[in-house]
Amino acid sequence: MLDTAASPAPEASAGAARPLVEVRGLKMYFPIHTGLLRRHTGDVKAVDDVSFDILEGETLGLVGESGCGKSTCGRAVLRLYDITAGSIRLEGREIGQLSQEALRPLRPRMQMVFQDPQASLNPRMTVASIIGEPLVEHTSMSRAERLERIWELMDAVGLNRDFANRYPHEFSGGQRQRIGIARALALNPKFIVCDEPIAALDVSIQAQVVNLLEDLQEQLGLTYLFISHDLSMVRHIADRVAVMYLGRIVELAPRDDLYAEPLHPYAKALLSAVPEPDPKIARAARRIILKGDVPSPANPPKGCNFSTRCPRVMEICRRIDPALTEVAPGRQVACHLYTDASESAEETAPERGESNDTRQQGEEE
Amino acid sequence: MPAGAQPILDVKGLRTVFATRQGEVHAVNSVSFDLYPGELLGVVGESGSGKSVTMMSLIGLLPSPPAEVREGQVLFEGIDLLKADAETLRRIRGARIGFVFQDPMTSLNPVFTVGFQLMEPLRKHMGMTKAQARARARELLELVGIPDAGRRLDDYPHQFSGGMRQRVMIAIALACDPKVLIADEPTTALDVTIQAQILELIKELRQKLGMAIIWITHDLGVVAEIADRVIVMYGGQIVEQAPVEALFEDPRHPYTRAHLQTVPHVRGPRAPRLRVIEGQPPILGAPPTACPFRFRCRHRFERCDRENPTRREVAPGHDAACFWSPEEERTAPVAAAGGAHA
Repeated sequence: MLDTAASPAPEASAGAARPLVEVRGLKMYFPIHTGLLRRHTGDVKAVDDVSFDILEGETLGLVGESGCGKSTCGRAVLRLYDITAGSIRLEGREIGQLSQEALRPLRPRMQMVFQDPQASLNPRMTVASIIGEPLVEHTSMSRAERLERIWELMDAVGLNRDFANRYPHEFSGGQRQRIGIARALALNPKFIVCDEPIAALDVSIQAQVVNLLEDLQEQLGLTYLFISHDLSMVRHIADRVAVMYLGRIVELAPRDDLYAEPLHPYAKALLSAVPEPDPKIARAARRIILKGDVPSPANPPKGCNFSTRCPRVMEICRRIDPALTEVAPGRQVACHLYTDASESAEETAPERGESNDTRQQGEEE
Repeated sequence: MPAGAQPILDVKGLRTVFATRQGEVHAVNSVSFDLYPGELLGVVGESGSGKSVTMMSLIGLLPSPPAEVREGQVLFEGIDLLKADAETLRRIRGARIGFVFQDPMTSLNPVFTVGFQLMEPLRKHMGMTKAQARARARELLELVGIPDAGRRLDDYPHQFSGGMRQRVMIAIALACDPKVLIADEPTTALDVTIQAQILELIKELRQKLGMAIIWITHDLGVVAEIADRVIVMYGGQIVEQAPVEALFEDPRHPYTRAHLQTVPHVRGPRAPRLRVIEGQPPILGAPPTACPFRFRCRHRFERCDRENPTRREVAPGHDAACFWSPEEERTAPVAAAGGAHA
């Protein structure tokens, strides 16, 4: 299932930093089997042709709403799945098509922090054995060396060493997430995928965990892929941000550029929808209210995936899927409004034509 | 707070205790507040602060045991809901007081059509015939912006998306034209663009129907956008109460102040580092005899360990439960002390 026609390489913002992770044309489809014979009748296109780089030492934020494929993308990059197509390079080495066996020696380099520390920590293991497990699997440390390393890690994430023999349920959500982070750090990884690491935590605890992740990044030179639906937290932690919608990256830009002026109509709507914790701004804000719901990734619309809800949809959008193209240094957008100047980008969007999918229309307002 | 108006709901000294294997947990401690006709009261706090338990206690929705509403008075239309018998409560709940809960999938019954679930309160509380109820149910679905309402009455909850399901829940809550709507984190499970749709809908419905709303949330952004007045809960008690502009412009309780500074923003300047409230919220095994926030407070002094502060008015319509007063530090900007944790 080698995809030879990978998408053109999006050029990362120029600078001294080289890409640690290079993803090209990544596809992750989950097959749908129906009927008595469980015939393969379709695919859920969770990640559909996605390309990006993550530079060494940076945090790439990956944002989008539920079901847009951001978590699948993160897991696919770590090769927790056998990907459908595409190329993934970690430190220059192709890992997209390696077998799980061949990946094993590379696992220490890339780790993951999961969303729900309750579900991702084994309730029957002590904190020490949870943090030490990767050391048992991947190193030949002696028991004493291991304990030393476990303590070091507990110090690094701000957990009291005295709690090494306690069980996860004895900790609060924020502390459990620290255990998960310590485990991810055990083998000195270069690259960590943080999949909604703060979504399950209270606001005051979120700040504690985010500050910890930032401190560790600075001390250890880590590179993060930070997956989140929390746009304000991503603005805080990320250097660059990719916005996903229905399996595609629709915009990828340096953080300040994106938040100052999002270009893709979906990114605009998404950012405008975040309520601002300031009554004056919140009530004055001009919000773009999207109509209807996200289409199914098993049956994405023809042309641009966002065309069924886009307030600026044009005729071309329903026919041709726009490619992610660089429109300014470091800024990439997948939208016909920006790809072809002759298409008179400023003209007002035509009324939404009749959809060929009536059921779809029925779901919308 | 509208001057001279009579509150529609008046809560005094509410205390709710849970019996657990580890002993009692005092989830709600001497909570008093009122709600005026037509206003939207935001209730903010983190998990375990007692905000949901308070509202569930009001209307007798907590399972007992383990919960026990130990003290207090809840006056609604001249009736003390805490003393009312089950029959009276049943007549009020779902009719005069409507609810919307966080997760629309678990609060709708998957084996009945949406139409059936909408018609049930209409027939039970309003005594409508089947045909009348169906006509009204259709109107309600139209009211909350569900297209093709007549046909969708016969659909089951799983045939609706998350946002549409929450619209259905709102329609059910509004079915009997309630005076008060209690919404417990109604947009928390929804995506931000769908949340925006629901917030718009609520603003619209308030204009049309004019009911009073209690909106429980942990999201300060949502409160800033829709609330008229806000109460902030911490450790089972109300620590601050203020009109929404005053709360954000001039927060008086150290918890509110710290909380407002920990949240990052999507707009405006970006803070290089997030401010942190160190420590964890308390779990109260006994009624607090000292300030519940003291261990995390930067302004703690000796009196905070001895006494639990009661709410005192700090500006018209604005009160806070704290001995410390920001006036003393007005000259020194608060931000200077931010991030000063070890």
